[in-house]
Amino acid sequence: MGLFVNILLSGIVQGMVFAAIALGLVLISRATGVVNFAQGAMGMFTTFIAFTLLTHGLGYWPAFVATLAIGFVFGALVERTLIRPLQGKPALNPVIVTIGLLIVLEGAAGSIWGNVARGFPAAFSQRGLVIGTTRVAFSHFDVFIVIAVAALVVGIVALFRWTDLGLRMRAAAFAPEVSRLLGIRVGRLFTLGWALAAAAGALAGLLVAPLSSFSPYYMDLNLVFGFTAAVLGGLVSPIGALIGGLVTGLAISFVGGYIGPDLEPLAALVLLLIVLMLRPQGLLGAAEARRV
Amino acid sequence: MLRVDGLTVRYGPVQALSDVSFDARDGVITTVLGANGAGKTTLLRTLSGLVRSTAGRVSFDGVPITGRDPETISRMGIAHIPEGRGVISELTVDENLRLGTLHRLRRAERRGAMEEIYERFPQLGERRNRSASTLSGGERQILVIGRALVSRPRLLLLDEPSLGLAPLVTAQIMATIEELTSGAGLSAILVEQNARGALSVAHWAVVLNLGRVVIADEPSRLGADAELRRHYLGF
Repeated sequence: MGLFVNILLSGIVQGMVFAAIALGLVLISRATGVVNFAQGAMGMFTTFIAFTLLTHGLGYWPAFVATLAIGFVFGALVERTLIRPLQGKPALNPVIVTIGLLIVLEGAAGSIWGNVARGFPAAFSQRGLVIGTTRVAFSHFDVFIVIAVAALVVGIVALFRWTDLGLRMRAAAFAPEVSRLLGIRVGRLFTLGWALAAAAGALAGLLVAPLSSFSPYYMDLNLVFGFTAAVLGGLVSPIGALIGGLVTGLAISFVGGYIGPDLEPLAALVLLLIVLMLRPQGLLGAAEARRV
Repeated sequence: MLRVDGLTVRYGPVQALSDVSFDARDGVITTVLGANGAGKTTLLRTLSGLVRSTAGRVSFDGVPITGRDPETISRMGIAHIPEGRGVISELTVDENLRLGTLHRLRRAERRGAMEEIYERFPQLGERRNRSASTLSGGERQILVIGRALVSRPRLLLLDEPSLGLAPLVTAQIMATIEELTSGAGLSAILVEQNARGALSVAHWAVVLNLGRVVIADEPSRLGADAELRRHYLGF
Protein backbone atom coordinates (compact mmCIF):
# COMPACT_ATOMS: atom_id res chain seq x y z
CA MET A 1 0.00 0.00 0.00
CA GLY A 2 2.80 2.39 0.96
CA LEU A 3 4.62 1.60 -2.28
CA PHE A 4 1.47 2.19 -4.29
CA VAL A 5 0.85 5.60 -2.68
CA ASN A 6 4.44 6.68 -3.17
CA ILE A 7 4.43 5.61 -6.81
CA LEU A 8 1.14 7.43 -7.31
CA LEU A 9 2.45 10.64 -5.72
CA SER A 10 5.74 10.66 -7.59
CA GLY A 11 3.82 9.92 -10.78
CA ILE A 12 1.71 13.03 -10.21
CA VAL A 13 4.77 15.19 -9.59
CA GLN A 14 6.57 13.89 -12.68
CA GLY A 15 3.36 14.25 -14.63
CA MET A 16 3.10 17.94 -13.73
CA VAL A 17 6.64 18.52 -14.97
CA PHE A 18 5.87 16.71 -18.23
CA ALA A 19 2.72 18.81 -18.48
CA ALA A 20 4.81 22.00 -18.31
CA ILE A 21 7.04 20.73 -21.13
CA ALA A 22 4.02 19.56 -23.11
CA LEU A 23 2.33 22.92 -22.63
CA GLY A 24 5.33 24.62 -24.24
CA LEU A 25 5.17 22.21 -27.18
CA VAL A 26 1.43 22.82 -27.52
CA LEU A 27 1.75 26.62 -27.48
CA ILE A 28 4.36 26.50 -30.24
CA SER A 29 2.57 23.87 -32.27
CA ARG A 30 -0.67 25.87 -32.11
CA ALA A 31 0.96 29.16 -33.00
CA THR A 32 3.32 28.13 -35.77
CA GLY A 33 2.56 24.48 -36.50
CA VAL A 34 6.10 23.50 -35.49
CA VAL A 35 7.14 20.74 -33.10
CA ASN A 36 9.94 22.35 -31.13
CA PHE A 37 12.55 19.68 -30.52
CA ALA A 38 14.67 22.29 -28.71
CA GLN A 39 11.95 22.85 -26.06
CA GLY A 40 13.87 20.81 -23.48
CA ALA A 41 17.28 22.19 -24.43
CA MET A 42 16.01 25.78 -24.16
CA GLY A 43 14.79 25.01 -20.62
CA MET A 44 18.15 23.37 -19.87
CA PHE A 45 20.01 26.47 -21.07
CA THR A 46 17.93 28.90 -19.00
CA THR A 47 18.40 26.63 -15.97
CA PHE A 48 22.17 26.98 -16.43
CA ILE A 49 21.68 30.76 -16.56
CA ALA A 50 19.75 30.47 -13.28
CA PHE A 51 22.60 28.39 -11.89
CA THR A 52 25.07 31.16 -12.82
CA LEU A 53 22.84 33.83 -11.27
CA LEU A 54 22.59 31.78 -8.06
CA THR A 55 26.35 31.19 -7.84
CA HIS A 56 26.85 34.95 -8.22
CA GLY A 57 24.82 35.47 -5.08
CA LEU A 58 21.38 36.31 -6.42
CA GLY A 59 18.60 34.99 -4.16
CA TYR A 60 16.49 32.00 -5.25
CA TRP A 61 13.28 33.90 -6.00
CA PRO A 62 14.87 36.82 -7.89
CA ALA A 63 16.80 34.25 -9.93
CA PHE A 64 13.59 32.24 -10.47
CA VAL A 65 11.69 35.25 -11.83
CA ALA A 66 14.66 36.44 -13.88
CA THR A 67 15.00 32.99 -15.45
CA LEU A 68 11.36 32.91 -16.51
CA ALA A 69 11.78 36.39 -18.02
CA ILE A 70 14.98 35.35 -19.80
CA GLY A 71 13.17 32.28 -21.13
CA PHE A 72 10.37 34.51 -22.42
CA VAL A 73 12.80 36.77 -24.31
CA PHE A 74 14.81 33.78 -25.52
CA GLY A 75 11.68 32.20 -27.03
CA ALA A 76 10.77 35.44 -28.79
CA LEU A 77 14.29 35.73 -30.22
CA VAL A 78 14.28 32.14 -31.49
CA GLU A 79 10.97 32.74 -33.27
CA ARG A 80 12.10 36.00 -34.83
CA THR A 81 15.56 34.92 -35.95
CA LEU A 82 15.24 31.19 -36.69
CA ILE A 83 11.60 30.31 -37.29
CA ARG A 84 10.12 33.41 -38.96
CA PRO A 85 12.44 33.25 -42.00
CA LEU A 86 11.15 29.72 -42.69
CA GLN A 87 7.52 30.77 -43.04
CA GLY A 88 6.05 29.42 -46.26
CA LYS A 89 8.91 26.94 -46.66
CA PRO A 90 8.43 23.15 -46.46
CA ALA A 91 7.19 22.03 -43.03
CA LEU A 92 10.31 19.94 -42.49
CA ASN A 93 12.61 23.00 -42.43
CA PRO A 94 11.64 24.37 -38.99
CA VAL A 95 11.77 20.82 -37.59
CA ILE A 96 15.38 20.48 -38.75
CA VAL A 97 16.18 23.95 -37.38
CA THR A 98 14.83 23.12 -33.91
CA ILE A 99 16.84 19.88 -33.87
CA GLY A 100 19.88 21.96 -34.85
CA LEU A 101 19.12 24.40 -32.04
CA LEU A 102 18.92 21.49 -29.58
CA ILE A 103 22.40 20.33 -30.61
CA VAL A 104 23.88 23.84 -30.55
CA LEU A 105 22.46 24.63 -27.11
CA GLU A 106 23.69 21.37 -25.59
CA GLY A 107 27.13 21.91 -27.12
CA ALA A 108 27.26 25.52 -25.96
CA ALA A 109 26.14 24.64 -22.43
CA GLY A 110 28.80 21.92 -22.32
CA SER A 111 31.57 24.29 -23.36
CA ILE A 112 30.44 27.12 -21.05
CA TRP A 113 29.54 25.17 -17.90
CA GLY A 114 31.15 21.77 -18.53
CA ASN A 115 29.62 18.38 -19.17
CA VAL A 116 29.33 17.44 -15.52
CA ALA A 117 26.27 16.57 -13.49
CA ARG A 118 25.53 19.09 -10.74
CA GLY A 119 22.97 19.58 -8.04
CA PHE A 120 20.44 22.39 -8.30
CA PRO A 121 18.73 23.97 -5.28
CA ALA A 122 15.02 23.49 -4.70
CA ALA A 123 12.70 26.29 -3.61
CA PHE A 124 11.42 24.28 -0.64
CA SER A 125 12.41 21.27 1.43
CA GLN A 126 12.67 18.03 -0.53
CA ARG A 127 12.11 15.82 2.53
CA GLY A 128 8.94 13.79 2.23
CA LEU A 129 5.91 15.04 4.15
CA VAL A 130 4.76 13.06 7.16
CA ILE A 131 1.12 12.04 6.96
CA GLY A 132 -0.09 10.45 10.21
CA THR A 133 2.99 8.52 11.18
CA THR A 134 4.38 7.61 7.78
CA ARG A 135 6.67 9.65 5.61
CA VAL A 136 5.49 9.73 1.97
CA ALA A 137 7.44 10.47 -1.20
CA PHE A 138 5.87 13.91 -1.52
CA SER A 139 7.78 16.94 -0.27
CA HIS A 140 7.08 20.64 0.11
CA PHE A 141 8.92 21.13 -3.17
CA ASP A 142 6.65 18.57 -4.85
CA VAL A 143 3.65 20.54 -3.60
CA PHE A 144 5.24 23.62 -5.15
CA ILE A 145 5.72 21.79 -8.47
CA VAL A 146 2.05 20.80 -8.57
CA ILE A 147 0.85 24.31 -7.69
CA ALA A 148 3.25 26.09 -10.07
CA VAL A 149 2.32 23.98 -13.09
CA ALA A 150 -1.39 24.05 -12.25
CA ALA A 151 -1.20 27.85 -12.00
CA LEU A 152 0.60 27.98 -15.35
CA VAL A 153 -2.07 25.84 -17.06
CA VAL A 154 -4.92 27.80 -15.48
CA GLY A 155 -3.25 31.06 -16.47
CA ILE A 156 -2.85 29.98 -20.10
CA VAL A 157 -6.42 28.64 -20.29
CA ALA A 158 -7.76 31.89 -18.80
CA LEU A 159 -5.68 33.92 -21.25
CA PHE A 160 -7.08 31.98 -24.22
CA ARG A 161 -10.64 31.84 -23.00
CA TRP A 162 -11.36 35.19 -21.40
CA THR A 163 -9.12 37.86 -22.87
CA ASP A 164 -9.07 39.70 -26.18
CA LEU A 165 -5.39 38.86 -26.47
CA GLY A 166 -6.22 35.17 -26.10
CA LEU A 167 -9.00 35.44 -28.69
CA ARG A 168 -6.52 37.07 -31.07
CA MET A 169 -3.99 34.30 -30.40
CA ARG A 170 -6.54 31.59 -31.10
CA ALA A 171 -7.76 33.29 -34.28
CA ALA A 172 -4.20 33.78 -35.49
CA ALA A 173 -3.40 30.12 -34.87
CA PHE A 174 -6.52 28.73 -36.55
CA ALA A 175 -6.79 31.14 -39.49
CA PRO A 176 -3.76 33.38 -39.97
CA GLU A 177 -4.84 34.93 -43.26
CA VAL A 178 -8.39 35.70 -42.16
CA SER A 179 -6.96 37.15 -38.93
CA ARG A 180 -4.65 39.49 -40.83
CA LEU A 181 -7.63 40.71 -42.84
CA LEU A 182 -9.30 41.53 -39.52
CA GLY A 183 -6.34 43.69 -38.52
CA ILE A 184 -4.73 41.17 -36.16
CA ARG A 185 -0.93 41.37 -36.18
CA VAL A 186 -0.45 37.64 -36.54
CA GLY A 187 3.35 37.72 -36.60
CA ARG A 188 3.55 39.33 -33.16
CA LEU A 189 1.19 36.74 -31.71
CA PHE A 190 3.35 33.91 -33.08
CA THR A 191 6.31 35.53 -31.34
CA LEU A 192 4.27 35.76 -28.15
CA GLY A 193 3.35 32.06 -28.44
CA TRP A 194 7.02 31.10 -28.64
CA ALA A 195 7.88 33.45 -25.78
CA LEU A 196 5.21 31.95 -23.50
CA ALA A 197 6.28 28.45 -24.49
CA ALA A 198 9.90 29.16 -23.68
CA ALA A 199 8.91 30.65 -20.32
CA ALA A 200 6.97 27.42 -19.60
CA GLY A 201 10.09 25.50 -20.64
CA ALA A 202 12.23 27.61 -18.31
CA LEU A 203 9.82 26.81 -15.47
CA ALA A 204 10.00 23.09 -16.31
CA GLY A 205 13.80 23.27 -16.27
CA LEU A 206 13.85 24.89 -12.83
CA LEU A 207 11.39 22.34 -11.47
CA VAL A 208 13.12 19.25 -12.88
CA ALA A 209 16.73 20.17 -12.06
CA PRO A 210 16.48 19.66 -8.26
CA LEU A 211 14.75 16.26 -8.65
CA SER A 212 17.97 14.59 -9.73
CA SER A 213 21.14 16.16 -11.09
CA PHE A 214 21.39 18.53 -14.00
CA SER A 215 23.81 18.62 -16.94
CA PRO A 216 23.54 19.79 -20.57
CA TYR A 217 21.59 16.61 -21.37
CA TYR A 218 19.27 16.33 -18.39
CA MET A 219 16.21 17.50 -20.32
CA ASP A 220 16.54 15.05 -23.24
CA LEU A 221 14.61 12.24 -21.62
CA ASN A 222 12.12 14.72 -20.12
CA LEU A 223 11.48 16.06 -23.62
CA VAL A 224 10.60 12.53 -24.78
CA PHE A 225 8.13 12.25 -21.90
CA GLY A 226 6.85 15.78 -22.48
CA PHE A 227 6.39 15.02 -26.17
CA THR A 228 4.46 11.86 -25.28
CA ALA A 229 2.28 13.97 -22.99
CA ALA A 230 1.68 16.59 -25.68
CA VAL A 231 0.69 14.02 -28.32
CA LEU A 232 -1.51 12.25 -25.77
CA GLY A 233 -3.27 15.55 -25.15
CA GLY A 234 -3.73 16.20 -28.85
CA LEU A 235 -1.02 18.89 -29.33
CA VAL A 236 -3.66 21.62 -29.33
CA SER A 237 -5.08 22.19 -25.88
CA PRO A 238 -3.44 23.30 -22.60
CA ILE A 239 -5.83 21.08 -20.64
CA GLY A 240 -4.87 18.23 -22.95
CA ALA A 241 -1.21 18.87 -22.11
CA LEU A 242 -2.03 18.68 -18.39
CA ILE A 243 -3.99 15.44 -18.73
CA GLY A 244 -1.39 14.00 -21.10
CA GLY A 245 1.35 14.93 -18.62
CA LEU A 246 -0.41 13.24 -15.73
CA VAL A 247 -1.16 10.08 -17.72
CA THR A 248 2.44 9.88 -18.89
CA GLY A 249 3.82 10.60 -15.41
CA LEU A 250 1.65 7.97 -13.77
CA ALA A 251 2.33 5.39 -16.46
CA ILE A 252 6.10 5.65 -16.24
CA SER A 253 6.01 5.92 -12.46
CA PHE A 254 4.09 2.65 -12.16
CA VAL A 255 6.27 0.91 -14.73
CA GLY A 256 9.40 2.24 -12.99
CA GLY A 257 8.15 1.34 -9.52
CA TYR A 258 6.74 -2.12 -10.15
CA ILE A 259 8.82 -3.39 -13.08
CA GLY A 260 12.04 -1.39 -13.19
CA PRO A 261 13.24 2.19 -13.79
CA ASP A 262 15.16 1.14 -16.90
CA LEU A 263 11.87 0.51 -18.66
CA GLU A 264 10.49 4.04 -18.15
CA PRO A 265 11.51 5.44 -21.57
CA LEU A 266 10.23 2.26 -23.20
CA ALA A 267 6.94 2.65 -21.35
CA ALA A 268 6.59 6.20 -22.71
CA LEU A 269 7.23 5.00 -26.26
CA VAL A 270 4.74 2.14 -25.89
CA LEU A 271 2.17 4.62 -24.55
CA LEU A 272 2.87 6.93 -27.49
CA LEU A 273 2.50 4.02 -29.91
CA ILE A 274 -0.80 2.89 -28.39
CA VAL A 275 -2.24 6.42 -28.50
CA LEU A 276 -1.11 6.99 -32.08
CA MET A 277 -2.68 3.69 -33.13
CA LEU A 278 -5.98 4.00 -31.27
CA ARG A 279 -6.53 7.74 -31.12
CA PRO A 280 -4.08 9.60 -33.36
CA GLN A 281 -5.74 12.92 -32.66
CA GLY A 282 -4.91 12.53 -28.95
CA LEU A 283 -7.25 12.27 -26.00
CA LEU A 284 -8.71 15.75 -26.49
CA GLY A 285 -7.66 16.74 -30.00
CA ALA A 286 -10.09 17.03 -32.89
CA ALA A 287 -9.43 14.77 -35.84
CA GLU A 288 -7.28 16.58 -38.34
CA ALA A 289 -4.19 15.98 -40.36
CA ARG A 290 -1.02 17.05 -38.65
CA ARG A 291 2.39 17.76 -40.10
CA VAL A 292 5.42 17.15 -37.92
CA MET B 1 -12.56 56.84 -52.37
CA LEU B 2 -10.42 54.03 -53.80
CA ARG B 3 -8.27 54.78 -56.81
CA VAL B 4 -6.45 52.00 -58.62
CA ASP B 5 -3.84 53.15 -61.09
CA GLY B 6 -1.85 50.89 -63.42
CA LEU B 7 -1.92 47.94 -61.02
CA THR B 8 0.19 45.02 -62.21
CA VAL B 9 0.73 41.71 -60.42
CA ARG B 10 2.98 38.91 -61.53
CA TYR B 11 3.19 35.42 -59.98
CA GLY B 12 6.51 34.22 -61.37
CA PRO B 13 6.02 34.05 -65.14
CA VAL B 14 2.25 34.53 -64.87
CA GLN B 15 0.89 38.01 -65.35
CA ALA B 16 -2.19 37.97 -63.11
CA LEU B 17 -3.06 41.67 -63.48
CA SER B 18 -1.86 44.03 -66.19
CA ASP B 19 -2.16 47.78 -65.87
CA VAL B 20 -5.54 47.73 -64.12
CA SER B 21 -6.99 51.18 -63.45
CA PHE B 22 -10.40 52.16 -62.09
CA ASP B 23 -12.05 54.22 -59.37
CA ALA B 24 -14.46 52.95 -56.76
CA ARG B 25 -16.56 55.96 -55.84
CA ASP B 26 -17.89 56.91 -52.44
CA GLY B 27 -21.12 55.35 -51.24
CA VAL B 28 -21.74 53.05 -54.19
CA ILE B 29 -21.21 49.45 -55.23
CA THR B 30 -18.60 48.86 -57.89
CA THR B 31 -18.74 45.37 -59.30
CA VAL B 32 -15.80 43.57 -60.88
CA LEU B 33 -16.89 40.89 -63.33
CA GLY B 34 -15.16 38.33 -65.47
CA ALA B 35 -14.66 34.62 -66.05
CA ASN B 36 -12.60 32.30 -63.87
CA GLY B 37 -8.96 33.31 -63.99
CA ALA B 38 -9.71 36.87 -65.09
CA GLY B 39 -7.83 38.17 -62.03
CA LYS B 40 -10.79 39.21 -59.87
CA THR B 41 -9.65 37.49 -56.69
CA THR B 42 -6.05 38.58 -57.24
CA LEU B 43 -7.30 42.15 -57.58
CA LEU B 44 -9.05 42.04 -54.19
CA ARG B 45 -6.10 40.28 -52.53
CA THR B 46 -3.80 43.00 -53.85
CA LEU B 47 -6.11 45.79 -52.65
CA SER B 48 -6.15 44.34 -49.13
CA GLY B 49 -2.38 43.82 -49.05
CA LEU B 50 -2.25 40.02 -49.14
CA VAL B 51 -0.57 40.10 -52.54
CA ARG B 52 2.25 42.48 -53.45
CA SER B 53 1.88 44.36 -56.70
CA THR B 54 4.78 44.56 -59.13
CA ALA B 55 3.76 47.98 -60.41
CA GLY B 56 1.01 50.55 -60.03
CA ARG B 57 -0.56 52.51 -57.21
CA VAL B 58 -3.60 52.18 -54.98
CA SER B 59 -4.84 55.04 -52.85
CA PHE B 60 -7.63 55.11 -50.31
CA ASP B 61 -9.12 58.55 -49.59
CA GLY B 62 -6.00 60.01 -51.17
CA VAL B 63 -3.66 58.03 -48.90
CA PRO B 64 -1.36 55.64 -50.76
CA ILE B 65 -1.78 52.08 -49.51
CA THR B 66 0.40 50.26 -52.05
CA GLY B 67 2.75 47.87 -50.28
CA ARG B 68 1.14 48.25 -46.83
CA ASP B 69 0.48 45.08 -44.88
CA PRO B 70 -3.07 43.67 -44.62
CA GLU B 71 -3.32 44.47 -40.89
CA THR B 72 -2.74 48.18 -41.51
CA ILE B 73 -5.08 48.31 -44.50
CA SER B 74 -7.80 46.54 -42.50
CA ARG B 75 -7.41 49.01 -39.62
CA MET B 76 -7.83 51.89 -42.11
CA GLY B 77 -11.36 50.64 -42.79
CA ILE B 78 -11.06 48.33 -45.77
CA ALA B 79 -12.80 45.05 -44.89
CA HIS B 80 -11.93 42.19 -47.22
CA ILE B 81 -14.38 39.28 -47.09
CA PRO B 82 -12.50 36.43 -48.75
CA GLU B 83 -14.15 33.83 -50.92
CA GLY B 84 -15.50 30.74 -49.21
CA ARG B 85 -14.22 29.88 -45.78
CA GLY B 86 -13.82 33.16 -43.95
CA VAL B 87 -15.48 31.84 -40.79
CA ILE B 88 -13.13 30.51 -38.11
CA SER B 89 -14.93 27.26 -37.31
CA GLU B 90 -12.94 26.58 -34.14
CA LEU B 91 -14.46 29.68 -32.51
CA THR B 92 -18.05 30.42 -31.53
CA VAL B 93 -20.29 32.73 -33.54
CA ASP B 94 -19.88 35.38 -30.83
CA GLU B 95 -16.09 35.09 -30.82
CA ASN B 96 -15.99 35.37 -34.61
CA LEU B 97 -18.04 38.54 -34.40
CA ARG B 98 -15.97 39.91 -31.51
CA LEU B 99 -12.84 39.64 -33.68
CA GLY B 100 -14.37 42.29 -35.93
CA THR B 101 -14.68 44.78 -33.07
CA LEU B 102 -11.12 44.68 -31.76
CA HIS B 103 -9.43 47.36 -33.81
CA ARG B 104 -11.69 50.12 -35.02
CA LEU B 105 -14.08 50.47 -32.08
CA ARG B 106 -13.58 51.81 -28.58
CA ARG B 107 -13.96 49.22 -25.85
CA ALA B 108 -17.25 50.74 -24.67
CA GLU B 109 -18.78 50.60 -28.17
CA ARG B 110 -18.02 46.96 -28.90
CA ARG B 111 -20.96 45.17 -27.27
CA GLY B 112 -23.46 47.62 -28.71
CA ALA B 113 -22.05 47.22 -32.19
CA MET B 114 -22.34 43.45 -31.86
CA GLU B 115 -25.93 43.68 -30.67
CA GLU B 116 -26.77 45.77 -33.75
CA ILE B 117 -25.45 42.97 -35.95
CA TYR B 118 -27.43 40.37 -33.98
CA GLU B 119 -30.56 42.47 -34.47
CA ARG B 120 -29.96 42.84 -38.18
CA PHE B 121 -29.23 39.14 -38.61
CA PRO B 122 -31.39 37.29 -36.04
CA GLN B 123 -30.15 33.91 -37.28
CA LEU B 124 -26.72 34.86 -35.85
CA GLY B 125 -28.16 36.16 -32.59
CA GLU B 126 -29.94 32.87 -31.98
CA ARG B 127 -26.74 30.92 -32.46
CA ARG B 128 -24.26 33.28 -30.83
CA ASN B 129 -22.87 30.77 -28.33
CA ARG B 130 -22.68 27.88 -30.77
CA SER B 131 -19.53 26.80 -32.50
CA ALA B 132 -19.31 28.46 -35.91
CA SER B 133 -18.74 25.01 -37.38
CA THR B 134 -22.44 24.23 -36.82
CA LEU B 135 -23.62 27.00 -39.17
CA SER B 136 -24.99 26.36 -42.65
CA GLY B 137 -23.28 27.79 -45.71
CA GLY B 138 -25.63 30.77 -45.86
CA GLU B 139 -25.27 31.48 -42.13
CA ARG B 140 -21.50 31.36 -42.47
CA GLN B 141 -21.61 33.91 -45.26
CA ILE B 142 -23.86 36.14 -43.17
CA LEU B 143 -21.48 35.76 -40.22
CA VAL B 144 -18.46 36.91 -42.24
CA ILE B 145 -20.43 39.84 -43.60
CA GLY B 146 -21.59 40.70 -40.07
CA ARG B 147 -18.02 40.41 -38.81
CA ALA B 148 -16.87 42.85 -41.50
CA LEU B 149 -19.73 45.28 -40.84
CA VAL B 150 -19.27 45.31 -37.06
CA SER B 151 -15.88 46.98 -37.57
CA ARG B 152 -17.72 49.95 -39.19
CA PRO B 153 -15.64 49.78 -42.37
CA ARG B 154 -15.55 52.44 -45.08
CA LEU B 155 -15.04 50.01 -47.94
CA LEU B 156 -16.11 46.38 -48.28
CA LEU B 157 -14.25 44.05 -50.60
CA LEU B 158 -16.59 41.15 -51.30
CA ASP B 159 -15.26 38.08 -53.10
CA GLU B 160 -18.11 36.00 -54.55
CA PRO B 161 -20.47 36.34 -51.59
CA SER B 162 -23.13 34.29 -53.38
CA LEU B 163 -20.89 31.36 -54.28
CA GLY B 164 -22.56 28.05 -53.48
CA LEU B 165 -25.56 29.63 -51.77
CA ALA B 166 -29.24 29.07 -52.38
CA PRO B 167 -30.91 31.79 -54.51
CA LEU B 168 -32.97 33.01 -51.56
CA VAL B 169 -29.88 33.49 -49.37
CA THR B 170 -28.07 35.16 -52.26
CA ALA B 171 -30.97 37.57 -52.59
CA GLN B 172 -30.86 38.39 -48.88
CA ILE B 173 -27.12 39.03 -49.01
CA MET B 174 -27.35 41.19 -52.13
CA ALA B 175 -30.21 43.18 -50.61
CA THR B 176 -28.19 43.73 -47.42
CA ILE B 177 -25.18 44.98 -49.34
CA GLU B 178 -27.38 47.26 -51.41
CA GLU B 179 -29.11 48.65 -48.33
CA LEU B 180 -25.88 49.27 -46.43
CA THR B 181 -24.23 51.14 -49.25
CA SER B 182 -27.28 53.27 -49.93
CA GLY B 183 -26.79 54.96 -46.57
CA ALA B 184 -23.82 57.20 -45.95
CA GLY B 185 -20.23 56.25 -45.60
CA LEU B 186 -19.93 52.69 -46.93
CA SER B 187 -18.78 51.64 -50.37
CA ALA B 188 -18.24 48.18 -51.76
CA ILE B 189 -16.29 46.43 -54.44
CA LEU B 190 -18.22 43.32 -55.36
CA VAL B 191 -16.53 40.51 -57.24
CA GLU B 192 -19.01 38.09 -58.77
CA GLN B 193 -19.33 35.34 -61.31
CA ASN B 194 -23.07 35.77 -61.02
CA ALA B 195 -22.93 38.81 -63.31
CA ARG B 196 -26.68 39.27 -63.61
CA GLY B 197 -27.16 39.60 -59.84
CA ALA B 198 -24.13 41.86 -59.44
CA LEU B 199 -25.18 44.20 -62.25
CA SER B 200 -28.61 44.57 -60.70
CA VAL B 201 -27.20 46.08 -57.47
CA ALA B 202 -24.06 47.85 -58.70
CA HIS B 203 -23.65 51.46 -59.78
CA TRP B 204 -20.51 50.90 -61.77
CA ALA B 205 -19.07 47.80 -63.37
CA VAL B 206 -15.56 46.83 -64.39
CA VAL B 207 -15.05 43.80 -66.63
CA LEU B 208 -11.75 41.97 -66.39
CA ASN B 209 -10.39 39.45 -68.86
CA LEU B 210 -6.99 37.75 -68.53
CA GLY B 211 -5.89 40.37 -66.02
CA ARG B 212 -6.85 43.41 -68.10
CA VAL B 213 -9.76 45.82 -67.90
CA VAL B 214 -11.93 45.16 -70.96
CA ILE B 215 -14.50 47.82 -70.24
CA ALA B 216 -15.79 49.92 -67.35
CA ASP B 217 -19.23 51.41 -67.60
CA GLU B 218 -22.65 51.75 -66.04
CA PRO B 219 -24.28 48.38 -65.35
CA SER B 220 -27.35 49.11 -67.49
CA ARG B 221 -25.21 49.75 -70.55
CA LEU B 222 -23.10 46.63 -70.00
CA GLY B 223 -26.21 44.51 -69.50
CA ALA B 224 -27.63 45.84 -72.77
CA ASP B 225 -24.58 44.88 -74.81
CA ALA B 226 -25.39 41.39 -76.08
CA GLU B 227 -21.93 40.66 -77.44
CA LEU B 228 -20.18 41.71 -74.24
CA ARG B 229 -22.59 39.61 -72.21
CA ARG B 230 -21.94 36.57 -74.34
CA HIS B 231 -18.15 36.97 -74.35
CA TYR B 232 -17.38 37.93 -70.79
CA LEU B 233 -20.43 37.75 -68.57
CA GLY B 234 -21.93 34.41 -69.54
CA PHE B 235 -25.60 35.28 -69.69
